[in-house]
Amino acid sequence: MTRSSQVVLVLVLLGLFALFYQGLWGDPRRIPAVLIGTTAPALEGPDVVSGARISWDQFRGKVVVVNFWASWCQECKLEHQNLLTIQERFQKDPHFVMLGVNYQDKVEHAQQYLNTHGSSFRHVRDVKGLLAIDYGVYGVPETFVIDQQGIIRYKWIGPVTGDAYTRLTEKVLVPLLQGTAPSI
Amino acid sequence: MLTRVLHTLVILLAMTTGTWAAVVEETDIDVRTREIAKTLRCTVCQTESVWESAAPLAQQMREAIRERVAQGQSAEEIRAYFHSRYGDYILMQPTAQGLNWLIWAGPFALLVLGGIFLYRALNRWVAQSPAPAPEPLSPVDDRSRDRLDRELHRTAPP
Repeated sequence: MTRSSQVVLVLVLLGLFALFYQGLWGDPRRIPAVLIGTTAPALEGPDVVSGARISWDQFRGKVVVVNFWASWCQECKLEHQNLLTIQERFQKDPHFVMLGVNYQDKVEHAQQYLNTHGSSFRHVRDVKGLLAIDYGVYGVPETFVIDQQGIIRYKWIGPVTGDAYTRLTEKVLVPLLQGTAPSI
Repeated sequence: MLTRVLHTLVILLAMTTGTWAAVVEETDIDVRTREIAKTLRCTVCQTESVWESAAPLAQQMREAIRERVAQGQSAEEIRAYFHSRYGDYILMQPTAQGLNWLIWAGPFALLVLGGIFLYRALNRWVAQSPAPAPEPLSPVDDRSRDRLDRELHRTAPP
């Protein structure tokens, strides 16, 4: 085998090893979201608690945190208190709003979940699962942040806990509410 | 007894008719929904299409496809919608664009490279191997030589 052939072979093997390493140790929650940087689809439907229609218009011009959840989802319970903390911290800002999207759930189960775990923001029912498909959702929980121009700026798959919580609040929400770009 | 047999036959006939009717009543929307759903990957399954999967998300996707078909959207428009939401991953057959070319051309390129490598290696091995020397003849002992002589002498023409 010539010297150049050996070099090519080593490079190919290194490339394959890099792909393997990335697949093995990469964070599966960081699935590249094709919707980042695009206009957020409208989220409309009945309110989980009152049944009244929630219109997307009331969220225009605001930084919106959208959280897809379900009462049967264990990881949603892990992040629930953090979501309430985020709402409590930022709710005084007139440009901030939080919206839950109840996904593949029965309304009575969702209502019971909110009664048990607490609720300080509105939740829209995704009756036919079309809202989730509009947002390219794989499962719950998934969280999106939409800026004041209505552009999706951030997506997180999994519970908003630990580093994910810090990243969402300090590197995404704070900059967006200050009118600057997220520092992620 | 005869009545019971007749009842059973009627029930079986009714079941057969029902099955037949279900096949016949498949609408154009059903057919188009199925064809499109077969080309989209169930995003929460392993190598199953939206059509094949029983996952709730796949069921909702089938319903979303059906609604869009009923609205008159083309298969390409519906695939483009799902692609805009989930990216290349949603397509059972990735598009031959950008880095995706690697997926399409990669196996053939590796096959060609492997063939070239094998051809050159075999050539080199053949060139480097010395031609095999003829095996030395085994020595003939005196007894065998005498026997050979006798045999040759016996068969030799006078």
